[in-house]
Amino acid sequence: MGEKTALLELRDLSVRYRSGTREVEAVRGVDLTLDAGETLGLAGESGCGKSTLAMSVLRLLPTSAEIGGEILLDGEDVRRMKWGRLRAVRWTSAAIVFQGAMHALNPVRRVRDQIAEPIVLHSKTQPPAGELRKRVTELLAQVELPAAKGDAYPHELSGGQKQRVMIAMALACEPRLIIADEPTTALDVIVQAQVLDLMTNLVAQRDIGLVMISHDLAVLASTCQRLAVMYEGRVVEEGAAASIIAEPTHPHTKALAAAFPTVGDPEYRYAPATNSPLGLPDPPAAEPAATDGEPLLRTEDLRVTFTGRGRVVTHAVAGVDLEVRRGEIVALVGQSGSGKTTLARAILGLQPPTSGRVVYDGVPVPATSRALRAYRRQVQLVLQDPTSALNPRHSVYESVAEGLRIHGLAGGENGTERERVAAALEAAELRPSEEFMPLLPHQLSGGQRQRVVIAGALALEPNLLVADEPVASLDASVRGEILALLLRLRAKLDLAALVITHDLGLAWNIADRVAVMYRGELVEVGPVDEVLREPKHDYTRSLLAALPTTQPTQA
Amino acid sequence: MVWRRRGAAFAAGWREFAKQRTGLAGLGLLVVIVLLAVLAPVITDQEGLDVTKATGGTMEPPSAEFPLGTDRSGRSVLLLTLWGSRMSLTVGLVATLLSIAIGTVIGILAAHYGRWVSATLMRITDFFLVLPSLVLAIALSTVLQQGIGTIILAIGLTSWASGARLVRAQTLTIEARPYIERSKALGGGHAHVITKHVLPAVLPLVFVNTTLAVGSAIVAESTLSFLGLGDPDPMRPSWGTMLRSAWLDSAVIAGAWWYLLPPGIAIGIVVLAFTMCGRALESVLNPRLREG
Amino acid sequence: MSDILIPTEEALAEAPPPTRGGGALRYVLTKIGGGLISLALVIVLGFLLFRVLPGDVIQTMFRGRPAAPEQMAALRRQLGLDDPLYQQFFDYVGRLLHGDLGESYVYRVPVLQKIGERLGPTLLLVGVSTLIAVALGLWLGTRSAWRRGNRFDRVATGVALTLWSTPTFWLGMLLLAASSGLFPTAGLVDSDTPPDFLSQAVDIAHHMVLPTITLVAVIYAQYQLVMRSSLIEEMDADYLTTARAKGLRDDLVRRRHAVPNALLPTVTLVFLHLGFVIAGAVTVETVFSWPGLGLLTYDALSNRDLPLLQGTFIVLAAAVIAMNVIADVLYRVLDPRVRAA
Repeated sequence: MGEKTALLELRDLSVRYRSGTREVEAVRGVDLTLDAGETLGLAGESGCGKSTLAMSVLRLLPTSAEIGGEILLDGEDVRRMKWGRLRAVRWTSAAIVFQGAMHALNPVRRVRDQIAEPIVLHSKTQPPAGELRKRVTELLAQVELPAAKGDAYPHELSGGQKQRVMIAMALACEPRLIIADEPTTALDVIVQAQVLDLMTNLVAQRDIGLVMISHDLAVLASTCQRLAVMYEGRVVEEGAAASIIAEPTHPHTKALAAAFPTVGDPEYRYAPATNSPLGLPDPPAAEPAATDGEPLLRTEDLRVTFTGRGRVVTHAVAGVDLEVRRGEIVALVGQSGSGKTTLARAILGLQPPTSGRVVYDGVPVPATSRALRAYRRQVQLVLQDPTSALNPRHSVYESVAEGLRIHGLAGGENGTERERVAAALEAAELRPSEEFMPLLPHQLSGGQRQRVVIAGALALEPNLLVADEPVASLDASVRGEILALLLRLRAKLDLAALVITHDLGLAWNIADRVAVMYRGELVEVGPVDEVLREPKHDYTRSLLAALPTTQPTQA
Repeated sequence: MVWRRRGAAFAAGWREFAKQRTGLAGLGLLVVIVLLAVLAPVITDQEGLDVTKATGGTMEPPSAEFPLGTDRSGRSVLLLTLWGSRMSLTVGLVATLLSIAIGTVIGILAAHYGRWVSATLMRITDFFLVLPSLVLAIALSTVLQQGIGTIILAIGLTSWASGARLVRAQTLTIEARPYIERSKALGGGHAHVITKHVLPAVLPLVFVNTTLAVGSAIVAESTLSFLGLGDPDPMRPSWGTMLRSAWLDSAVIAGAWWYLLPPGIAIGIVVLAFTMCGRALESVLNPRLREG
Repeated sequence: MSDILIPTEEALAEAPPPTRGGGALRYVLTKIGGGLISLALVIVLGFLLFRVLPGDVIQTMFRGRPAAPEQMAALRRQLGLDDPLYQQFFDYVGRLLHGDLGESYVYRVPVLQKIGERLGPTLLLVGVSTLIAVALGLWLGTRSAWRRGNRFDRVATGVALTLWSTPTFWLGMLLLAASSGLFPTAGLVDSDTPPDFLSQAVDIAHHMVLPTITLVAVIYAQYQLVMRSSLIEEMDADYLTTARAKGLRDDLVRRRHAVPNALLPTVTLVFLHLGFVIAGAVTVETVFSWPGLGLLTYDALSNRDLPLLQGTFIVLAAAVIAMNVIADVLYRVLDPRVRAA
């Protein structure tokens, strides 16, 4: 093959899905080139066609997909390959690291066998068992896993370990191209940093071409030399990662870049990315005035202990003292498993504490469900995934009115049920409210759904919102809008919020104070500007260090 | 507004159902059979079931007068089959309703309340699930007074366990949904969560399950009757008791196929019709269940 | 806490790694414990059903037959029916623990002895039929699911549904009528067959043909339908895409990856449906006069032989419970995920 042949070349690639009479164009006329040893990041929001594009390279799309254009792998068109040739090319020329290693590994086979499978399949003669074992151990070592992990089943591994297994598997036949589809999306910041490091190094050492797909521009910027941004099936911007990050030209790229703020950069402080004409409220006075007096909510030595099977005791929340003052936004930051969601559930009375108590407005929160009802009018919950937080059978109106009906609030001095629902929808900026009322959740976008959830909470006129990862499942461009809404609600209604998140950028965007949680305890609490700029605790430091920077790596 | 939307959802469901040819065929068959069963007293004379007033000869082959021949006592097999549908359908439907009601209540309670309530209920459910239900039904109908009530009780009390399992699984899926958590955080209690969220989401499944279970109940009725545990009154035949008489009267050896085939085919058709309807319903409701 | 440094992945793993040895024993013991509770429930149910529910047990046993008062009184004494109920219950449990299920009223022999005589033929019939049905059902179900909607799937599923809708005994009667003369119609073995092993075996096999076909026809459909739907569930799984991406042939993707996963729910159901198989056996044995437990049950209920019926009920229920405990343990061996739970 000549020097000029690119490792992967897409020429006018288009993919159409047909189902019945409907036709969806997922990819529209994409041209991309990747040379050997190059790294290319493919960015875009969910539904922009980036995963379809990845799957088309090995022709793994369902039969309902129609592919147009050319997919040249080492100069050979994948579309024209016979089945036998295609099978031979799969995994040997190009391998894929799938998103969600949880599901991409067969749950009932040992990972060693799954790694060995392509090696056996693609070698002409059956390799001797001992050699095969050695090779798998070697591969595991490359992804920094002990050989013993080979005998594990996927469910016995952590998320990061599973992703490492996927990478080892991808390396098994020494392909020249690896396509990684959202390889770190489900992982925690620190694990994400470790996995990204590993991949970058392996790819560089072996001179492998890498196409990395992600919705997170920062992740791509820290691993790839070149970037391509996809929007509605097209590549809208392409170029060197550094220049795209520094000067995005397409509005969509700008939105993506703004969604992942640089922690510590004053430009992003109290300023989530928003295109709303309502703008952003002024940042609050430097230091919230009323530090003395009774806070709106506080927890006193709150503990939640779970006893699992085999009397394994887990201290999910191990003695937490946390305060939220009136009109204050507090970010509770931690990784998955740190106990932050359990803490939120305990605060809401959804999880009875093992010991300690929650004090709201100077009064201890009662334990009985009847007495809890009054408390629950004051403190409302906003969940992570608005799609599942709304009953798919209930209209927007019914969902928002649900709380009013439970508490028998309709028809009071504050107006009829319909008026109150309308007011709540207006407050959540779903306008005109009349048009949204009869719609069902599946007729709304993700951002609109989250607004409905917020409206349902606002209908009860609470003083505190507890929001559990309120934007984690939303697209980057919507994220800023929801965060801006929270800031405006605080300015307008003096609504306090406890925002639970793994995302330090979110804390930097909207919170006044931040509490860092690790293994059930608060390791550092203080004003955002102090804690995130000058962290005192090692754990906070390691969290900050693991953040992918938008300063691209130089190859 | 709610009702209009429910109506529209129903219409959409019906259109989807109408696309399934087998489901439609099953529904058509059921309508015809139920009509025949309901109209049996109008279009025929019950007198013909009376052994003492039978006009035909012993096990006559089909003729113009008796299109499906006669049984040992000279009664028309066609007449018996028509009247048999009343008994078989009644037992099938009522026993299923009993079984589904028990199953749904236990399933929802076990899933919603957790801890020891759940543990106890599931222990009992598992017990009934593995227990050979026919053997239990045989025992029940042996010791109780023979009759339609006993048969219904025997079938209903022994067949609810799988339904309870199914409903529990579905309830657990629904209860794991964040919108339940949201509802609780809004202040909703047990009754609110169960009636507003769980029940509406579980009912389609219960409905499908009912349709599928009627078939099994009709087969169970015929089996119990065949074993001699049915209603002994000759004026109230069922397809099962007909087959028992055919068996006892050595219809097999006598080659009296007209005596043997009609009740069996009738059972097969009704059960198949219910199953076809149920499976069509399942495929209509399933994508929505997954989505919900 | 001063020991916090960069957390390791182990610390961040969702679940602690399973403890193998102790967990396994615990699991098996839990399952056996559950089985024992079920068994106790069966014993209580057996008492309630046959001693309490009938009202007058003696009346039930003599239903439809004339009997001298002294005969009834003798039977009443023999069954201990004059004692208070709790006394009866303790006697009943006490005798059960010694393996005494009472004496058959009709056969005049201990119930257990009678059941022992009939166990073999039932095990043979049910065992052979289940094996054939499972093999047939899994094979047809797999083929149906993999090419869902094609002619094979439509025909196979249609046939399965039809057979599943048919009463067992009726199917047996039809087979009897259709194959008159080709196969023996009743019993286990002819009385004039030479006593040597080979001749006996051939004759038993000959007798078994019709009952086995009937039983298989009724039970295989369940396995096929379950296998079909659980394989269809698995077919969208991501790990199958991984397998295809590795370059596996379609049939290897199916055999190595899809089927082992789909098999697991099917295995549970195979055992859960054993009660259904037993029900089939009762009617099949009745129709073909196969001298097993099913026919014994039928005889007992025809003669209102309550002690015998109670015995078959307890033994059949206990057998199914035992099989399910074995299935649970087997499941643990098959599915690595259960091992961790």
